[in-house]
Amino acid sequence: MKIATITVVLAAAAIGAGCTTTLVRSRDLGNPNVPAKTLAEQVCSNCHNVDGNSINPTFPKLAEQQQEYIIGQLTMFRSHHRDDPPGFEYMWGISRSLTDAQIKGLAKYFSSQKSVPLAPGNPKLAAIGKQIFHDGLPAKGVPPCASCHGDHGQGNGLFPRIAYQHADYVIKQLNVFQRTNERPDGVVMKTITHSLDHKNMEAVAAYLRGMTAK
Amino acid sequence: MGIDLRGSRSPRGSQGIKNTADTVATAPTLAKEIGRRLAARVAGACALIPLLLVLAPQAQAVPSFARQTGQNCVACHAGGQFPELTPYGRLFKLTGYTIGQRELPLAMMAVITSNKQKVADPTQGKTQDGSLIFNTASLFIAGKITDRIGGFAQITYNNYDNQDNPQGRWAGHSGSDNLDIRYADHLINNHQDLIYGFTLNNNPGVEDVFNSAPAWGYGIVPGSTGQGSGTSTILEDGLGQQVAGIGAYAYWNKTLYAEISGYRTGDGVFSFMTQGNGGQVYIKGTNPYVRLAYTKEWGPNNIMVGMTHFDVRPYTDQSNLGGPTDHYRDLGFDAQYQYLLDPYTLTAMVTRIHETIDPGAPGLASDTVNSLRAKTSFTYQAKYGATLSYFNYDNTNNNASSFSAVDARYGSRGWTPEVFWLPMQYVRVGLQYTKFSKFNDTSVGASDNNTLFFYIWGAY
Repeated sequence: MKIATITVVLAAAAIGAGCTTTLVRSRDLGNPNVPAKTLAEQVCSNCHNVDGNSINPTFPKLAEQQQEYIIGQLTMFRSHHRDDPPGFEYMWGISRSLTDAQIKGLAKYFSSQKSVPLAPGNPKLAAIGKQIFHDGLPAKGVPPCASCHGDHGQGNGLFPRIAYQHADYVIKQLNVFQRTNERPDGVVMKTITHSLDHKNMEAVAAYLRGMTAK
Repeated sequence: MGIDLRGSRSPRGSQGIKNTADTVATAPTLAKEIGRRLAARVAGACALIPLLLVLAPQAQAVPSFARQTGQNCVACHAGGQFPELTPYGRLFKLTGYTIGQRELPLAMMAVITSNKQKVADPTQGKTQDGSLIFNTASLFIAGKITDRIGGFAQITYNNYDNQDNPQGRWAGHSGSDNLDIRYADHLINNHQDLIYGFTLNNNPGVEDVFNSAPAWGYGIVPGSTGQGSGTSTILEDGLGQQVAGIGAYAYWNKTLYAEISGYRTGDGVFSFMTQGNGGQVYIKGTNPYVRLAYTKEWGPNNIMVGMTHFDVRPYTDQSNLGGPTDHYRDLGFDAQYQYLLDPYTLTAMVTRIHETIDPGAPGLASDTVNSLRAKTSFTYQAKYGATLSYFNYDNTNNNASSFSAVDARYGSRGWTPEVFWLPMQYVRVGLQYTKFSKFNDTSVGASDNNTLFFYIWGAY
């Protein structure tokens, strides 16, 4: 019975501790007072990693991402205007109660992280990808990626950083732009990706992984 | 998310009591007539699916945890299949089920099954003759309680619980099922990552987050065939819903996991965790459970290699709590590999447990139980899936104290392939066939127990 008593006391103490916890390490997505940095560390990090360099390619890398772009995407998730499958499967729920201030804070947090390059992709593919990235495919009417995303793929405002991004994520998103209307904010990409074939997408993605190619 | 789909299981205790699920499903089959009749029943059952779709139009499948996070099942379960957890699902559980926002913490689950044994035991009636039956239903109280406390408690109604009446008719019964309440904290920044917490639960291993833990890994739905007659280790099937355990755990840098728990009889103040599960199994004092695991994730891949040790002393004579105790020592090694990248998921796992039983009565030799289970599951587009599982059980037979009698050998071995379909995230329809190559420790007549099992699982 001593153990039972100790258990009850410990349980009560634990519940008490839980009830009186500060917002410092809260995982409450419905509380507007939880700081964005706390949400980034306690919730976002589980998929995107605490430094924004996600491991599984299902989840895009957010490190050094453009603040305006992150704000735009979280706002689109929250309003259900971005509805590609991973978007609504993972992000609609996470973003549903975020305040504008929390979204801005999250954007600031991840944009200030350091993006780490991934292992270079297939050299031959990466070389082709580098050419498409910088020169486009004039014969197909495809402009160079660098013209909007920057010479180093660093992005610019609403144009996202794509340097060091997961290849699988890049290819899937290019397909979303090309084949669906699930990302209305990226309608300009629908025209740009119209003439890209799968090989072109693989090549660009292979280059972006490490931004290196001979 | 961490929901036991097996339903309640009865205690084995020190006398080798067989669990209900295995008794119901011990055996199975295929013949033209069987196939024809089953096909008709399957068609009838499938007719229920549109009704389920109409009744549950929202895409918030897995009960209260999904409503809490607002996420799809695939976030926490590999390819949306249960109970295989993804790395994120494991973190959700380790952080005390507290991610998200508090919602009504209620959910439910129901399972319709058809179990057809090749040579059915007529006394088992609808549980073996291929009849489509309402098998079990569960109510879950599950969700976030405070910023650092959450949990789940399952109450299960087993529609085919026992045949305790002169006519041999099956009777239903409700009882407490798995329970896990925890407090957790997560110390994380760019320089450190440590999750630590405490768990109060009623089934050794149910608090585990890895798919290869016996409490989660190999049974899929209540009534599935399992290992047939094979005597399992006490860690796998002996003390669920009979004990109360308190443990502390830590997960460091998403690399090393360690847990130590103590289990005692689930009576007195803990009896709410064991209600409705038949005669109470009594164990002496506080019994240690230790779990260690190494994990690594790279790209879409992740692996785990782990070990478990459980040391427990049930009273030899359950009516004499001042008498001697049997001493069970279980040592398990397990591993799993996952590949998670839409549209594919693959989960492969293996668990090996060696158990030594020292009888309480003086002068008796020790006995052993060995179990080996392995399973690979695959899903495509979180809609279509297949699994292949293998089991191999054996035990020694040195004395009657360890099992039901001297010479009691319950070894079993076999394979279970399965195909399943998830028309939506909270409905699963599956067909599995268990082929025995050893039953009651012999291959002679083992195939008589081959079983065809069909199920419709739903949750909301």
